[in-house]
Order: sequence, then structure tokens, then C-alpha cells
Amino acid sequence: MSISDKTGTFAQLRATSRLSQSARRQLLLTVMPIVVLAGLVAAIAVANPNFLRPASIWTALDSAVPLMILASGAMLVILCGGIDLSVAALASMASVLVALWIPAMDGWAVVLVVLVCALAGLLQGVIHIVAQIPSFLVTLGGLAVWSGVALVASGAATVGVSGDTLAWTFTRLTDWRIPSAVLIAAGLVAVFALVLQLTPVRRWLISIGSSESAALMAGVPVASTKIAAFAVSGACAGFAGVMLVGRTFSGAPTLADSLLLPVVAAIVVGGTAITGGFGGIGRTVIGVLIITVLRVGLSVAGVDSSYEQIFYGVLVIAAVALTIDRSKLLFVK
Amino acid sequence: MSAETTAEVQTPVLAVHDLRKKFAETTALDGVSFEVRPHEVVGLIGENGAGKSTLLKMLIGLAQPDSGHIELRGTRVKMRGISQAGAAGIGMVFQEQSLIPNLTVAENILFGAEGGAVVGGLYRWKELRRRAQVQLDKIGSKIDVDGLTEELSFADRQLVEIAKVLATEERTNAEPVVLLDEPTSVLDRDETELLFTQIERLRTRASVVFVSHRLDEVLRVSDRVYVLRNGQTVAECVPGDVDEASLRRMMIGRDMEGSHYGEEDQLPIREEVRLSVRGLSVKGVCDDVDFDVHVGEILGIAGVQGSGREELCRGIFGALATRGTMTLDGEQITPRSPRDAIGSDIGFVPAERRREGMVGTMSVAENITLPHIGDVCAGPVLLKGKERQLADEWIERLRIRTPSGSAPLGSLSGGNQQKAVLARWMVSDSLKLLILDHPTRGLDVGAKSEVYRLIRELTASGVSILLMADSLEELIAMSHRVLVMKDGRVTDVIDAPAGAKPAPVTVLERMI
Repeated sequence: MSISDKTGTFAQLRATSRLSQSARRQLLLTVMPIVVLAGLVAAIAVANPNFLRPASIWTALDSAVPLMILASGAMLVILCGGIDLSVAALASMASVLVALWIPAMDGWAVVLVVLVCALAGLLQGVIHIVAQIPSFLVTLGGLAVWSGVALVASGAATVGVSGDTLAWTFTRLTDWRIPSAVLIAAGLVAVFALVLQLTPVRRWLISIGSSESAALMAGVPVASTKIAAFAVSGACAGFAGVMLVGRTFSGAPTLADSLLLPVVAAIVVGGTAITGGFGGIGRTVIGVLIITVLRVGLSVAGVDSSYEQIFYGVLVIAAVALTIDRSKLLFVK
Repeated sequence: MSAETTAEVQTPVLAVHDLRKKFAETTALDGVSFEVRPHEVVGLIGENGAGKSTLLKMLIGLAQPDSGHIELRGTRVKMRGISQAGAAGIGMVFQEQSLIPNLTVAENILFGAEGGAVVGGLYRWKELRRRAQVQLDKIGSKIDVDGLTEELSFADRQLVEIAKVLATEERTNAEPVVLLDEPTSVLDRDETELLFTQIERLRTRASVVFVSHRLDEVLRVSDRVYVLRNGQTVAECVPGDVDEASLRRMMIGRDMEGSHYGEEDQLPIREEVRLSVRGLSVKGVCDDVDFDVHVGEILGIAGVQGSGREELCRGIFGALATRGTMTLDGEQITPRSPRDAIGSDIGFVPAERRREGMVGTMSVAENITLPHIGDVCAGPVLLKGKERQLADEWIERLRIRTPSGSAPLGSLSGGNQQKAVLARWMVSDSLKLLILDHPTRGLDVGAKSEVYRLIRELTASGVSILLMADSLEELIAMSHRVLVMKDGRVTDVIDAPAGAKPAPVTVLERMI
């Protein structure tokens, strides 16, 4: 056998053992988040075995609820190729509004606030579609507007809530002391999963995220799907704001602001593509758990919580760097 | 013959030995060998997926072979990128063009090879112009070196690209190898003639590799032709000894079944009018268009770029705003979006398949059901079993080659992708009108005939077709009648019955 024969066979062997690039990327996006989550849980369990006790697990899950609700909604917008940067600001605004309105309207305040936030999201979606402005810009502007509304409405102060209107959002149920918030979030995730699994909505979101013009020419209701995604994202933000008020007994104009980066981090770390067209609710649940366990882990390791934002920032960049499909991008802007 | 010229013939400028390349599961090149001798024009033909583009990429260093090697003027070379290939004297004129539109012609010609024309990071404009002019003079072009590239016609930009490749001559002190990748695909007849004259001129100072799917052109300009099939060089021939038919046979490896365009299946036009368009205008591009399409008729629309035919079709499909009236089977329709048009049983196959025609990341089945997803739903609930069954049925009927209905559509070959795109409209029993915008673009010969066959089948079942085609020959052969457009207006409607097809020139005369 000549030398060139040998190199030929070797090269062929190497090529067959290689997975196609897209298949490898999909595998990475699916397996990696689970591996990371398991690794983090194991590491914390070794450092502090108490972490695996039911009580601490429930507490950890309970703390993940606002993030979970925010991320579920924001994920829809990312799935169709946009991004909603206003969710945290909208949740803060919701916290102020619900705290202000509970004295007059009691439980109806919650419904009204969620509706108002859904409308706010809808408005952003309509502006994005009608004026053809990139979604990150519309929602960046929205972020400032909703923060401003929250500041004006609250007089730049914390608004306290008395009474037990929101007690249902922050209580423990049954003998196992399951946090009600966890059940609520689980219910919401289940609704998302059912809608995405059983109806054509997921097809529409993914086709829009992969190739908007192809979706349009195939008769996908592009405009209404996108606007609906923004509206649901807004409603989720509003509901997350209500849940936050339930546990702090007050609304404040910056209450949820620090959640923006964890929300994006959770979605991306879970394996949803930041460029759209790939992802889902299951991945987002994994992502939220990773962020939550990471936060617990940092405190177990004795890291000051002021360092958290640094970790989220690095995590978002690293996760996107590892997973982004560069073949789809002509230029990075 | 003198000793010197014999020696020249024996040392090819460029020789490629047994190149092999595998991308994951697909073998792109499976042993390609060929050589280019000094001052020779070598034709390279092959179906889509035969490995032409991979081979070209290797020659300019955009891909590396798994095995085999490339020899340039007798020395083995390893290309690591376009600039290195350029420095060695191999340049490519890209099909989709690689010039930077907002630079001047001179800047583009010497881009990355400015040499003495840049001192201390600053252009010496006079020197730059002079050097660029030298290159343009070589091909006898009158293009202004100070003109902006974006203001040139496509054909002129192609000449600038050729001049750019010739600019390597001064650096290497050797005659360059010019690779022309499908150079005539967007040129009209006169521009093509000019290019051929240019190639004749080019061969006095360079060697040329001419890649094209138009066999008549390859036979005309080449000294020798290599045929690629399934990543292998299967034949080397001299144009005098072969004709188009035998080349086509070598390309696809078998005889064509029946006639290419299925002209014998063209049924006479029926009486009933399917779509009636009156006074239709699309702002700025087409104005006051009237025409009728009958049931089961293929109406070809001819026109050069800018004739407004593409916009007209998009307008009918609701993708562009229109004024005027449209009547479909006697009912007036006003589609405001593609979704509206689909609701009126109109379908559209876009020219840019990868960008508009399909969602490559979604599966074959999901792509097939996307426009009529309501047909596989019970209320809001998607019936995945029913969907799979429907998709499998159409994969079978159209002989779409795919591992399964759940494989991503983007992983299939172009011809099979296009069949899936056609299937998404064919699944609907009530389809009335299908608009085909260059349905065979980028497909190889075999896939083209299959698409033609499907179009004929559709018309037999009563679907009406609006067709825009890649070539006039294809358009006339497929159509019952040809609507000719120029500057946004209809200039003529020409009958094209089976057996009495008009000559392309009759249509061409009304286009320009």
C-alpha cells in the first residue's frame, strides 16, 4: 500500500467518525445544559450535603419562580428571532401597580395588572411590526418607559402592601410543605408545553425564527404570531411582578430590574438559540434551574451576592459563544 | 513543433491529482484529476452535487482536500486562502461576484494587492489608477477606473473581476489561471458573446477554467472538457468529438427518459377562465396589467430584469400591495398577504428556495404541511399521526429522496428540496393557481425533468400555472401562451401550442 493510500484511508476514517456540524450542535445544545445542571447539583451536594434535603430543594425552587415565569414569556420572543429586553422593567412596573391598586380592587388588581402588562407587550410588538424597528430597540426603549412609569406612579418609593390578598402566591401547601409558587409556575410551564406541543404555534414561532421571509411566503401568520409572543411575554412579566410583591409585601420601581440578565442567561444556557428558530419551554426550565442552582452554589461557596451579576454576564457570553450557529450569520453586528 | 512548445505541453500550468473530500456523511470529491495546459481553455461540467464548487473552492484555498494534491507549474502547492492563491497566480471570477460595491473600479482591481500604490497606509491615487488601467487595457475594456463599482452593469463588473485576476500577473511573473464559475448565468445574449470574445483574448495571456451548466457554451469555448459525476472525473473529451446529447449522458450517467419538457403532455387550453387580472398595478414597477389564465393552462411570463414580472406575481400572491381587480373562478379576490392568497387556493414557489421557499431547519414533513397546517389539525390541535401519513404519502408520490419525513429539509439535495416545496402546494386538493418563480433554478438536468413532469401533472388535474423560467427555451417549451412584459407593461401575448412553439427570438423582440 502506497503512502497516499494510507493517508486516504485515515482521512476517510476520521471523516466517518465525525458527526455533521448541525447534528453536533444540536446534541451540544440538548445534552450540555443537562450535564451542566447535574454537575452543579453534584458539586453543591458534595460541598454541603444539606442541599439535597427536600426543604432546601423546595426553597431553591421557590426562589426560581419569578425567573421561571419571566423566562417562559421572553423565550417565545427569542424563539421567533427577536428579544424582549423590557421584561424585568415591566415586572417592576407591575409590582408598583399591583401594590397601588390592591387597596381599591383587591384580587382584581392582579388580573388588571397582568392585562395592562400584556397590553404593554402587545404595544411593543405592534410598534416592532408596523414601524419595522428591531425588537431589541423597541424593548430597550420600552424598558426605559416602563421604568419611568413605575417611578412616577410610585413617587420613586417602595409601596407597601398590607392584608393577605396575595397570600396565595407565597404559602406552603400539604404536609410536604410545597411552596404554592412552585405549583403555580409548574402549572404555567405545563400550559406553555401543551400549547407548544399540541398546536401549530410552535411551528409558526420556529419558522419565523429560522427564516421570516420563508414563513411569510408559506402563509404563516407572521405579524400576529410575533405580536402575540410579545403580548404573552408582557403578561408573564406582569404576573412575575405580582409574584414578587407576594414575597416582599411591597412593590418598588426597581424591584425586578436585576432579573433581566438572569432571564436572558437562563434562556440561552438552556439551549434556546439567541438567533431564533431553535429551543423550547423544556430547555428554558433547565436553564432556569441552572441559574438558580448556580446562585445557591455561589452562596454556599461563600461568594458575595454582589458578584452574581458578573457571573451572569460571563455566562450569557460564554453560552452564546459555545452554541451560536455562525453559519447562519453573514456578519456579526 | 519546436522543443520549447513540446515542453510547455508536457508541464501543465495547473494539475490536480486524485483529490478527495468528505463532509460528514456526504462525499463531495471522490478522486478528481485534471490538468490545464498553458493558454488553454478547459471546460468543467457536471450536475449539481457533482463536486464542481468543492473543487473550485480547493483551487483557491477555501477548502482543503482530505487527500490528493494540487500542482502549480510543476510544484506541489497547499492553498490556505484566496490571498495565497492569488499570490500564486490563481484567481476566481465568482458567480455571485465578490467586488465591493462602494469602492471605485481601480480600488477593486488592486484590492489586497495594492503594492506600491499604497505608501504609509495612504493611497497614491495616480499610481493606483495607472496600475488598474494597465489591467483593463489587457482585456481592452473601456470601463472608467474612477467609476463606482455599484454603478456598473453585471457584465461590466464581471470584466472588472477578470481584470482583478489578471493583476496577479505582475506579482507572480507568470501567466495566471482564471477560474470562471458559471460566468454566463446572468448575462443576456449580447453580453455572453462579449464574454466569449473576452475569453479568446484572455487565452493569449492566461489559462482559463470555464465552469458552466450550459453545455453548448462549454463546447463552444473549451479546448478540452472534463465531465464530473459523483465527485469523480468520469470523462475527458475534445469538443469536436462529442455533442451536447453525449455530454449530457456522461453527466447524468444514463439516458434521459422521454422528452425534457414533456411537450407531448401539453393539453389544449380549456375554455373556463381561472384567474382574470384587470388593471393591476404595483406601485413603481408595473402598471395596468390585464390578462387571463385558463383552467389547466401554463401561462409563461417573459421579461428582462426590471420588467416588473416578479413584482406582478408577488402582487397576485399578496406579498406586495396592488391596485386593480383580480377575479378567481368568478369571485373577486383582494389578497392582502400571502396568507390571504393561500386562503383563496393560490400557491407560490419562490425563486430563492433557501431564503424564501423553505425552512431548512424544519423537517421535510413540517415543511410540506406548513401552508395548509389547518388540514392536519382538529380544532387547534395538531394531529401528528395524520401529518406524518400525509407527508409520507407525498414523499412517496413525488419520489423525494430523504432518510425519513423527519429529516431536516435543508439536508436534502436541491432537487429533492424543490420537490418538497412543490408538495406543500400539491397536498391541497383545492389548489387553483400555482405561481412558479424560476422553479428549476439551480437544479441539475435530472431534477429539472422531474419538476417539469410534476408541473404537467398539475395542469392535467386542472391547476393553472403562472410560470417564470430560467431560460426562454424552457419558458416557451412549458407554456401554453407567453405573456411578454417590458417596463411594467404587457407588450404581447404569444401563443405557444404543442408542436408549433414560437422561436425564442419572437418573444425576445417584444421583451427589449
